[in-house]
Amino acid sequence: MDRFAAFKWQALFKDWHILLEGLGRTASTAGLALLLALALGVLFGVLATAPWRSGRSVSRLYVSLIQNTPLVTQVFFLYYALPHFDIMLPTPVVGVLGLGVYHGAYVTEVVRAGIQAIHRGQLEAALSQGFSYVQAMRYVILPQAAQIVLPPMTNQAVALIKNSSILAMISGGDLMFQADSWSASTGYYGPAYLTVWAIYFAICFPLAQVARRWEERVRLSRGGEVTAA
Amino acid sequence: MKRKWGVVIATILAAAVLAGCGGQSQSQAPASTPAAGGSGEAASALPAQVQKIKDAGVLKVGVKEDVPKFGYLDPAKGVHEGMEIDLARRIAKEIFGDETKVQFTGVNAKTRGPALDNGEIDLVIATFTITEERKNSWNFSDPYFTDHVGFLVLADSGIESWKDLDGKTIGVAQSASTRAALTQQAEEDGIKVEFMEFATYPEIKAALDSGRVHAFSVDQSILWGYKDDKNVMLPDKFAPQEYGIATKKSNTELAEFVNNIINDMKASGEMDQLYEKWGLK
Amino acid sequence: MIEELAVLAQWHNVRFMAEGLWITLRISVLTIVFSFILGTLLGVMRYTNHWLLARVAAVYIEGFRASPLILLILLFRFTMPLKPVNSGTLAMTLFTAAIVGEIVRGGLNSVDKGQWEAARSQGFTWWQTMRYIVLPQALRKMIPPLTGQFITVVKDTSYVWVTGVQELTGKGVIILGKHGSTIQFFAIFGMIGLIYYVLCLAINRIGLWQENRMSWLTH
Repeated sequence: MDRFAAFKWQALFKDWHILLEGLGRTASTAGLALLLALALGVLFGVLATAPWRSGRSVSRLYVSLIQNTPLVTQVFFLYYALPHFDIMLPTPVVGVLGLGVYHGAYVTEVVRAGIQAIHRGQLEAALSQGFSYVQAMRYVILPQAAQIVLPPMTNQAVALIKNSSILAMISGGDLMFQADSWSASTGYYGPAYLTVWAIYFAICFPLAQVARRWEERVRLSRGGEVTAA
Repeated sequence: MKRKWGVVIATILAAAVLAGCGGQSQSQAPASTPAAGGSGEAASALPAQVQKIKDAGVLKVGVKEDVPKFGYLDPAKGVHEGMEIDLARRIAKEIFGDETKVQFTGVNAKTRGPALDNGEIDLVIATFTITEERKNSWNFSDPYFTDHVGFLVLADSGIESWKDLDGKTIGVAQSASTRAALTQQAEEDGIKVEFMEFATYPEIKAALDSGRVHAFSVDQSILWGYKDDKNVMLPDKFAPQEYGIATKKSNTELAEFVNNIINDMKASGEMDQLYEKWGLK
Repeated sequence: MIEELAVLAQWHNVRFMAEGLWITLRISVLTIVFSFILGTLLGVMRYTNHWLLARVAAVYIEGFRASPLILLILLFRFTMPLKPVNSGTLAMTLFTAAIVGEIVRGGLNSVDKGQWEAARSQGFTWWQTMRYIVLPQALRKMIPPLTGQFITVVKDTSYVWVTGVQELTGKGVIILGKHGSTIQFFAIFGMIGLIYYVLCLAINRIGLWQENRMSWLTH
């Protein structure tokens, strides 16, 4: 298997800092995108369960549009099409925005289910005590929903880290791109792709396990009710 | 136990489907016959590797599909045409005595090497520049064409020469020899450029159109396929790019066979006729 | 401006895009069908407490789940002697099978354990219980996440473009390379987005229909 010849591995080790840079870019993009997704998810998740018809419609529209179009299409749009409107977002921003908005739609559904899993009586009780809808959400419902929502969020985080590889398609400098670029110029794609696979695995597998255990714990503590995922 | 049998059958089915899903016959109809093959009969005793191809019944060649005059698949016509296509047919004629026994696979800079290694294709005739580093991985014939690296910029960008690209971003294709050539030239000329890499030429063109890169750089022959009335070709060109036919490292007999054909064509004037036919050089 | 749109609407361009759509559909259907089969097998394997079966399934599932799909597609393309379309489909199938495996396991877990005891006491073998009692009930629970995953399959076919396979997104990009005016950009993106949207909605519909059908049957 000369695809994996020893000298090719050596060449990779010599250039390991290239992969490290990529890893840094992946981490920062994923981290920021996750925050954005969380913010959008809470916003639209609350809107989805609000008593305002317009709020519910907007939320549904957002989720429907984003969940039914590929991430690639969305990112390509941000990257290639927006500049025609004089909106030139730097590549890292395109990554964070694209990923954040995309996963935000999924987080919205998670948050919505989490809110709906809380007994409606809680909301009524809070409202009858004089809380406004927003206050009731903030102090009573969301804190409880958070417990249900966080484990699936960890799953979303794993998915997000994997999807950050989309940056490879827009010259985005992430881990996948660096591996791709390096192996394209040297021709030593075997070691490059295998190494990167190992790195992604080392990050995603433990996270996925944490998510699973957490989900189990929450499920049991709520008496075996179905979780928000 | 029973479910395991179901799985075995399903797996076999899957394998069958995957294997059978091939045979997407690329255009085999010769749209244009190349200049009459000079060297009469096919060699009486073909080297073993070439014989293998003959037994397979078809010569599998990786070609470009987006480079007019070299390797181009016109969506309107649906046939492959270009100088490199003709070269492929000429080689097929040498092996089979029949120039239609070629199966073309579209490749780009990134996929041509691996496709060769995989055994998916026997030859690569796809504006593949010969470099010392690449020779480590594949065999190359003697050059059949020499091109240069050029630049496309937007007409209204105000960029008029290579030196104007100082501090700007250039879009290049991954795995093309462009980046290395430009880096070297930039060092010599004392200017600094940034690069953005893309997997395919259409993506670089889209990046140019949207302003993501200031220039699209690759061999001029390839650039001509993307020239339109919104961009201009810079007058600068450098880093001579010699194209060669590539074969898998272990296919040395095939490489030699092909090389002989190329040299025959050059000596007999057939190569020049080919250039003339396509308006090259 | 209109002429630019008219240029796009020429027959050979439309046919070009249609070819891309065909590839997208082919990859999607093959992936969905085979990942469902393989995934169900994996899910059942992991559900059993068999020391070997469960472990093998677990290793497979966790291994593929922790990998980015783009990476798998590239890796398969460059290490397997298959046409890019096929290596891409294979990568997607194996990847999706892992996720389906988890969904199936979740579905099986959600079926009340009492069903097992009842069936066993009636003389059903393990396999018979699984096949006639437990799986059908699990199936109904599994439909929403399965529908979601299959929608994702259709969307993820766009990743196969990194290996040069000209599915819908790839064809779109190639046309973009030839026609780069602003209005053409938006026309192409809009068209592609719309097509994916319709495809995904269709799968959603099918999923809902199946769900309704099943709730009639099991009640």
